Amino acid sequence: MANHTLLTIEDHRDLRVHTQRGAAFGDDVMSCITVPDEFRRVQNLYPILFQRGRERDGFNAVALFGFEEGENLFLDGGRWDAAYRPLAMEIQPFLIGGAASGSDAKQVHVDLDSPRIAAGEGVRVFDEFGRPTPYLDAVAEQLGSLDIGYQRAADFFAALDRFDLFEPLTLEVTLEDGSTNRLVGFHVVDEEKVRALDSTALGELHQAGHLMPMFMAIASLANLGALIERRNRRLRHG
Amino acid sequence: MDGLVSRVVVIGGGTAGWLAASLIAARADPAAAVPLIVTLVESPDIPAIGVGEGTWPTMRATLQSIGVSEAEFLLACDASFKQGSRFDGWRTGAAGDSYLHPFTPPPSVPALDLVRGWQAQGRNLNFASAVSAQARVCGLALAPRQRAMPDYAGALNYAYHLDAAKFAAFLSGHATGKLGVRHIRDHVVAVDRAEGGDILAVRTAASGPVAGDLFIDCTGHAALLVGDALGVPFIDRSDVLFNDRALAAQLPVAPHSPVAAQTNATAHAAGWIWDIGLPTRRGIGCVYSSRHLTDDAAAATLTGYLKDTQLAGAGDLPFRRLTFRSGHRERFWERNCVAVGLSAGFLEPLEASAIVLVELSVGALLDGFPRTRAAMDLHAARFNTLFRYRWDRIVEFLKLHYVLSQRDEPYWRDHRDAGTVPTRLCELLRIWRDQPPSRTDLLQADEIFPAASYQYVLYGMGFATPAQGPLRVEAPDADAALRAVEQRGRTLAASLPSNRTYLDALRAASPALREQIS
Repeated sequence: MANHTLLTIEDHRDLRVHTQRGAAFGDDVMSCITVPDEFRRVQNLYPILFQRGRERDGFNAVALFGFEEGENLFLDGGRWDAAYRPLAMEIQPFLIGGAASGSDAKQVHVDLDSPRIAAGEGVRVFDEFGRPTPYLDAVAEQLGSLDIGYQRAADFFAALDRFDLFEPLTLEVTLEDGSTNRLVGFHVVDEEKVRALDSTALGELHQAGHLMPMFMAIASLANLGALIERRNRRLRHG
Repeated sequence: MDGLVSRVVVIGGGTAGWLAASLIAARADPAAAVPLIVTLVESPDIPAIGVGEGTWPTMRATLQSIGVSEAEFLLACDASFKQGSRFDGWRTGAAGDSYLHPFTPPPSVPALDLVRGWQAQGRNLNFASAVSAQARVCGLALAPRQRAMPDYAGALNYAYHLDAAKFAAFLSGHATGKLGVRHIRDHVVAVDRAEGGDILAVRTAASGPVAGDLFIDCTGHAALLVGDALGVPFIDRSDVLFNDRALAAQLPVAPHSPVAAQTNATAHAAGWIWDIGLPTRRGIGCVYSSRHLTDDAAAATLTGYLKDTQLAGAGDLPFRRLTFRSGHRERFWERNCVAVGLSAGFLEPLEASAIVLVELSVGALLDGFPRTRAAMDLHAARFNTLFRYRWDRIVEFLKLHYVLSQRDEPYWRDHRDAGTVPTRLCELLRIWRDQPPSRTDLLQADEIFPAASYQYVLYGMGFATPAQGPLRVEAPDADAALRAVEQRGRTLAASLPSNRTYLDALRAASPALREQIS
């Protein structure tokens, strides 16, 4: 259960956060949210898939780590075996919240029920003088990037939806031991439909800056093969 | 047997003896045609001195080289992390008079640029805080590492505080159990000599003679071999370093109380008080010069300090009294015998040079290990030159702590008497008025105290920085380096656990280990 609260010096002067990797810290997830602004850094490591969001009518993008709930094939004990981790993983246990007054200013919130909340060992959020630590500075910057990326993303998803470019993905993964995993509920950008776009449509997508992230998402599907291989390797090594 | 050196006999089973035996045995080649056999003879009822409770950072490499796990060592010896020494009251004795000598050196910019950069900051920051992130970490009593780091690695340079009696026992178990050191518990009653003067064997009360090719004298102040048997003269250094007595106490600490990150050395009228924090207890002792302070006055000084620290159980504690003579042997390696530890000498507890000298001595012995008796005298001569140099540098560095003081008591005034200051130190102090301590002041590749240590003490004690000379600074970015120090301090202060948290978590995480060793 989440227990979100506004991060303040008064309430969280001694708060410490576990910054290492591991299932115990909530890293055992099969995917996380990503945003088009981040696709460039995500696309060469993780498959980028799309999901129809529950809260918003439109789509969301996710970076895929595994084939079933709770499976993260990049997690190897206390190590995350990839040079880049998506922002949505990096910022935990923090999140962006709107100000209570209803103004536009954003605030940093923290999930006090997150397994990343530490006691004793862990990185401090405020120093002994009550100033933000370099760690909190870095997290705040990442939260800002993610928030801006999230706001910009709505346009991107709406445009691709308008041109009807999303296509449900039906992926059956057959593993070396003969078992199959089925990925359901995800969408990908349909390459055939992209090829069929006329120059007006392409021009419009280009103008809005959507072409680049769209092609990156398409290219990222090449990582599905590598992800299946990770799964097979895990089977082999028990 | 062609005079091959294969039987090493260590006499004495304190910290020095077991460290020496372990280090030598760990280097033995099991495939050698004539394998090295290390035997340690320990007298069952001579208690170890056991107050050397601070190490140098060298101890990490030492423990690693003999194959000890850091967590196991920390638990077995009630050890904690030491990141330097804090000197309270050395300058004037006034309130707030304090400076730190941390183990992590300043950023590597030329010394003059560093000192100028510090002065130019104009932040009224003391030298150690300006040039080393460790000052802030020590101030917060944080550990120098996180538990997830590999053994012996740290975010900052560190050594250990430990329970010396437990350390000797721990090393003994490791040396006999893992390194194949033979352990003989018996009294040495006589020393058998060859015609030429070499030691052939030590004769024991119940186990007969123990013969060897090379003997390591770790018999402490008694210096059974190097002193009694071989008669190597003792060089008294008490004309420079006056301390000759200590009163020691050990106090239990409350659970969850902070564990200090440095040795605290508090000056008093005629010496100083050490305060070493372990997770389980504090070792506190009053070092003094009997010429300047009576035993009763020293006891009162120590009682006063204990009262000030408000530790539970203080007040009716028995003090252990230790006497020593500041000095060292004229030679440390004589014939086929090397003096290691207190048998080689002892100056005073300041800067914890006792255990590191054991490590350095055995290291030098192994670097120039004599394959045969024939080469031994040449190795011995080199060894003696090197260690005479080292003892002289230690004497000077310790004296530096006293000569810069402005305290007015007779003890401190006597320390500043020109007749008691070694010539070389006088010359260095003259040079340092014009330029900061740098590598050019120290000639050896392997200096015992690097230039950084002299800088920390000199500027900690308020020595004036050099006036502007005709030379410009070399690296205009000393400023950037100092800003990086500050940033690193912020990052480390945020990410390191406290010593107490670290050590308690370590204990909690290894109940099995704990049971095994208790």
